[in-house]
Amino acid sequence: MKQRLSAPRSNLKGLAREVQSLGGDNPVAIVPEVSSFKKRRLANRKPAARWDLAPFRNSARDDPSLVLRHWRRRDGQHGLQQQQQQQQQQHGANGDASAQPTTEQNGAQVKQEGDSVVPSVETPKPDEIEDSAFAKFNVRPSIPHYTDEQYKTHLKSDDWSKEETDYLMELVTDYDVRWPLIWDRYEWNPPATNGVADADGDESKAVVPKQEARSMEDLKLRYYEITAKMMAAQKPIHVMSQAEFELHEMMLHFNAQQEKARKDFALNALKRSREEAREEESLLLEVKRILARSERFNEERRELYNRLDFPQSEQDISSIKTSQGLQNLLQQLMAADKNKKRRSLMGADSAHPANAAAAVAAAQAQAQAQAQAQAQESSRRESTVASTGATSTPTGGKKKGNQQAERPKLTEKEEQVYGVSHHDRLTSGPIFRSEKINKMFTHKSNQQQQRINNVLLELDIPPKLVMPTVATTQQFEQLFAAVNALLDARKVADKLDTELKLEHAKKAEREAKESSNQAEEDPAQDKSDPDMTVTKSDESASKEGNAEAGTTSEAQETMEPAADSHGEEPGTQDPVEGKEAAIEESSGGPHKRSASVLSTTSDKSAKRQKK
Amino acid sequence: MAQQPLSSAVPPTDIYGGDEVSALVLDPGYCSTRAGWAGEDVPKSILPSFYGHIGSTNTNLFGDEYLIPREGLEVRNYMNRDSVVEDWDVAPKFWENMLVKRLQPERPTAPSKNGLNDDPKKDGEGDVSMDGAAEEAAAEAQEEQEKALQENPLLVTEAPWNTSKAREKTTEVIMETWGCPAFWLSRTPTLSAFAAGKATALVIDVGGSNTNVTAVHDGMVLKRSIQRSPVGGLWLSSQIRSMFEHAEPKVALTPTYLIENKTPVDALAPAQARLRKFPFSIADSFRRYEEERVLTEFKESVVEVWRGNPGPYRAQGTEDFIKTQPGRVFEMPDGYNQMWREQRYRASEGMFDESVGYPLPEAERITKEQTIPSLIRTALEAVDVDLRPNLLGNVVVTGATSLINGFNDRLNNELIGMYPGVKIKIHAAGLTSERRFGAWVGGSILSSLGTFHQMWISRKEYEENGPGIVEKRCK
Repeated sequence: MKQRLSAPRSNLKGLAREVQSLGGDNPVAIVPEVSSFKKRRLANRKPAARWDLAPFRNSARDDPSLVLRHWRRRDGQHGLQQQQQQQQQQHGANGDASAQPTTEQNGAQVKQEGDSVVPSVETPKPDEIEDSAFAKFNVRPSIPHYTDEQYKTHLKSDDWSKEETDYLMELVTDYDVRWPLIWDRYEWNPPATNGVADADGDESKAVVPKQEARSMEDLKLRYYEITAKMMAAQKPIHVMSQAEFELHEMMLHFNAQQEKARKDFALNALKRSREEAREEESLLLEVKRILARSERFNEERRELYNRLDFPQSEQDISSIKTSQGLQNLLQQLMAADKNKKRRSLMGADSAHPANAAAAVAAAQAQAQAQAQAQAQESSRRESTVASTGATSTPTGGKKKGNQQAERPKLTEKEEQVYGVSHHDRLTSGPIFRSEKINKMFTHKSNQQQQRINNVLLELDIPPKLVMPTVATTQQFEQLFAAVNALLDARKVADKLDTELKLEHAKKAEREAKESSNQAEEDPAQDKSDPDMTVTKSDESASKEGNAEAGTTSEAQETMEPAADSHGEEPGTQDPVEGKEAAIEESSGGPHKRSASVLSTTSDKSAKRQKK
Repeated sequence: MAQQPLSSAVPPTDIYGGDEVSALVLDPGYCSTRAGWAGEDVPKSILPSFYGHIGSTNTNLFGDEYLIPREGLEVRNYMNRDSVVEDWDVAPKFWENMLVKRLQPERPTAPSKNGLNDDPKKDGEGDVSMDGAAEEAAAEAQEEQEKALQENPLLVTEAPWNTSKAREKTTEVIMETWGCPAFWLSRTPTLSAFAAGKATALVIDVGGSNTNVTAVHDGMVLKRSIQRSPVGGLWLSSQIRSMFEHAEPKVALTPTYLIENKTPVDALAPAQARLRKFPFSIADSFRRYEEERVLTEFKESVVEVWRGNPGPYRAQGTEDFIKTQPGRVFEMPDGYNQMWREQRYRASEGMFDESVGYPLPEAERITKEQTIPSLIRTALEAVDVDLRPNLLGNVVVTGATSLINGFNDRLNNELIGMYPGVKIKIHAAGLTSERRFGAWVGGSILSSLGTFHQMWISRKEYEENGPGIVEKRCK
């Protein structure tokens, strides 16, 4: 049989083989002629499987003695053995059996005999009846049991008699806590009314006046109450595991009223008419639509907000979380508001420092507790990078002043201790402190740079700091500002000198010839960029002579006193005083200043902002 | 040998929970009684519950084939219209006929007892005493009979409103008469739900003598929800009788057995048929039984339920529309034929609307509460509100009368009209046999389940507790 299967092609003879070989590697599909009908199956047929009508019992039964019988296929090994025995007998009987099957059978037999020693012992004893495979599916919920005593101590209820409770528990057991069924079959007849003990609902019972019907919630409430109490009685609450305790709590707090209300609601929902149902459906659709739209709306709004990019508050808001903090904030804001108004109106400010001081004091009191945390935080954020700081420029200082008033303030000492420093704006990435000083240089024109260098040379200070620590850079900046101021002052002084000379010259000339008139120049240029004009005038002073003297002198006269006073200040400052002066400037400085200084500083600050 | 097939020695319990123990299922109803082997899909033996009774010899003839015109034959039914067994003398015999004679193979008498191998010299005259042998044979037959169902547990169905007396009696009959090793009583709605593959369902069983609507929860009938009404196949027959009465011209209902020959006639022309004459009087019950057969055919081929809701007689204009619907021709056994148009809808409309339909005698008239929609409503109202949506999503329709054209569509429309906000799904078997024998099929499934074998009430339990055990166990 197998041979035929494995090599059907080689069996071809004569012309058929030639045709077959025409195809080469891809042989032509030739359907071989089947000479016999279903021969193969006949040859392959094994003896029919043996089935036994095997008895079994079901251990899940109340009465496990019931023995039912079902057809079971006889155990494979056992069956084979028998079959072989039969075959052997056959072989003995007719010895001329075909050779092929015999060898096969023998091979299998040898294999089988090796195995068959053990299973023959294992054949089930007739008196051993197998248990149903389905017995394991019989599960019962655990339902609490109580004794009479326990009932008396824990479970007594005005509403429920012991008998009725028993009846309920019995039903619960019978129906495996399926409440719809329990409620459906709940027919409690108080035994006192008629003497018959069995309550099997036959017609004679109909006469018995029924108690008011218990609702499912009543039944549940009672059952849960009993179960919870029995749970607690068997295992004190504090010993219970989490799950047990939760179950206990859930059962103990079963809210029958709420359940009833819920069911009423469900009932109403069921009773809706078609129109109401449709309306509700459409409303639900509407709601869904609105919700979907609002979601989109919110999304868009959020995107918009993100685009507007409001400044991220980097301050600690914990100070204004308390009501007192809020009050402080309000005060500060009001004060700031007042300041703005006054400044715009009168350009004078007297209340602000006081207010700010008060606010700062209040905020400090609060901040003391949090100081540590804040310090850590802020030091992490801003301490390591040194900067020109709030003190460096008056305008920056002014802005900072408002901000600082809002945040819980540290005293300077504390700031030093904690390494707190303030910055206008930090560029991303690391920068060199020395770079800052370089920048200050590069802003200036070549001439000015030269002049500054000259001054520094005079003072014997190298134009580049050897060791740009925070303190030195700060000092250097101050020095730089002072040098600037000095140079400015010198410029003005030079100008005045030249103008004086000019005037003198003019006077002499006027005296010489009364009729000459000066050509008119545009004075605006001077105002807008005094630095430039000054340098220009410095350069052109000698050449141009008296060409523009008239108008410029008028402009210069107005700024003279202010420039003088300002110019003197930085010159006389020592490093410690410089700071105070800067603070003073930050609060009250600007409006004292003359137009030219104001414009230069504002220019500078604007440039710095850009950076 | 090399390719050993997958061993089937181990039953595939994980695939389906079947474990057949050659149980029998008996499903008695008013119109027919079904019996068969558990695990099969149709009952092997279906007999009308009507049986022939011959008064003169006091013999009962069970089976359709015996219900022929015969002298003194009276057709009786061992059930009453409530589908509860009434005649407890006949019922056991009837059932035995089905369970033993029709389901069990004929067993030859043991050779030692068939009389052929008896020693002829026993009797002096070489003649076997026939009397003694007959007695002996009778006793043996009795014995044999008692053993007849020794190996077969028996599952019997019952109407959900079956009285406890009837249940106990059934138990007694089962245990005392055939020696079943175990038995079970199950209510038909549960089984119908099982047949539809559901443990929780609202079962609408539109049967022959009754229609009942019952909620089944987790394989158990909810007793408070049981609603029934006479609106069923027989009620529909009486509607059709009334329809024939009120037709113009009047339609005579001549059963087939009376017709000797007939000639074809045009529609509405009077019938031309020669009636058979019998030398004996035919009992009315027999004639009625035969008429019922004609009416059944009429119901099967002509009657239809108007699918739309509201029904044709509730909304204006629909009646005219119905008149335009194609009619159906029905030829009576005597050759009279007629096209039935809107009448065929009206006959069945009474199932849904008590005010329409054909006038009936007082006894058969139904009230509003007995129409199918009202039954459903009442049944659902007796059920916990949490269950109702679930039940409405699992409506199982069964019973032969539900096979009337359009019944399910109409029912669906009615339900949607009644409970607009709830998802309603009607499950009705597509196979006619499954619809007709829904309860039997359910019983067949149930009693071939491996997990069910722990439920059987065994003989031992019966002997210990008496027939009262059925009330305790089969709840």
